[in-house]
Amino acid sequence: MNTRTRALVQFLIVAALFAVPSFAADEEELKKDLTAVIALHGLPCGQVVAVKVQAEDDYAASCKDGNKYRVYLNAAGRVVVEAQK
Amino acid sequence: MQVAYVVVLLVLLIAGCAPVAPETPASEPPIVAVQPATTQPPTKPVAPATQKPATQPAAPVRRQPAPAPAPASAPRSVAPRAPAAPPALDLATLKAQLKDTKAIGVFTKITLKNQVDDLLDRFRAYYEGKAKFSMTELRRSYDLLMMKVLSLLQDDDQKLASLIVSSREAIWGLLADPKKFATLEV
Repeated sequence: MNTRTRALVQFLIVAALFAVPSFAADEEELKKDLTAVIALHGLPCGQVVAVKVQAEDDYAASCKDGNKYRVYLNAAGRVVVEAQK
Repeated sequence: MQVAYVVVLLVLLIAGCAPVAPETPASEPPIVAVQPATTQPPTKPVAPATQKPATQPAAPVRRQPAPAPAPASAPRSVAPRAPAAPPALDLATLKAQLKDTKAIGVFTKITLKNQVDDLLDRFRAYYEGKAKFSMTELRRSYDLLMMKVLSLLQDDDQKLASLIVSSREAIWGLLADPKKFATLEV
């Protein structure tokens, strides 16, 4: 039992080593994606520095210049960017 | 003992993640090495001129590197490399490649598709006589959209970016011709 516990701990450590960079990479990709979307809509942002997932395909993005936007996919299949205070 | 095992495992994992620099410069030296071999025949005619002082072997050896046409001929063999122009794309191929590229995120792709659809709607309105804008304004919108796409692609998917650049006028040709535009299925 003790050996099994240790093996499980080792497995979790290894899994964490691989999983943490993967999550970080995904978040960076999302920030980059939302930065491009906001720029394509002609809105000021600079760079998205924080993202909060509100729902599926619905994000709250905070920009480097202080602007905040809600970026979401509406029912018509259009990406909408709304400025938020 | 178990702790040591875990430590060794972690060290191996970290070492396995270390980037390995590709040895790309290895391909260049062979080119340089081949060129002197090809330039040896031109230097042979020079050698007979130096054969007069046959008792001085050191002098010809020094004179062989002196005739410098060897490096001059080296760039001649490398210089003619001209970048071949990539083939122009049609809209279907362009659409497929834009869908597949990993240089653009999903939301960005949807946004670009929205903007392409908007532009096509404007063309449609123009050809139906319902629009107040001119073809010059449509061309400006088209150029702006192309620049947006290229700016998104040029860093991470240069191949697709260059393909789009090469097919830019061909696509405009499809859009600017009412008959060709009517046959588009985008």
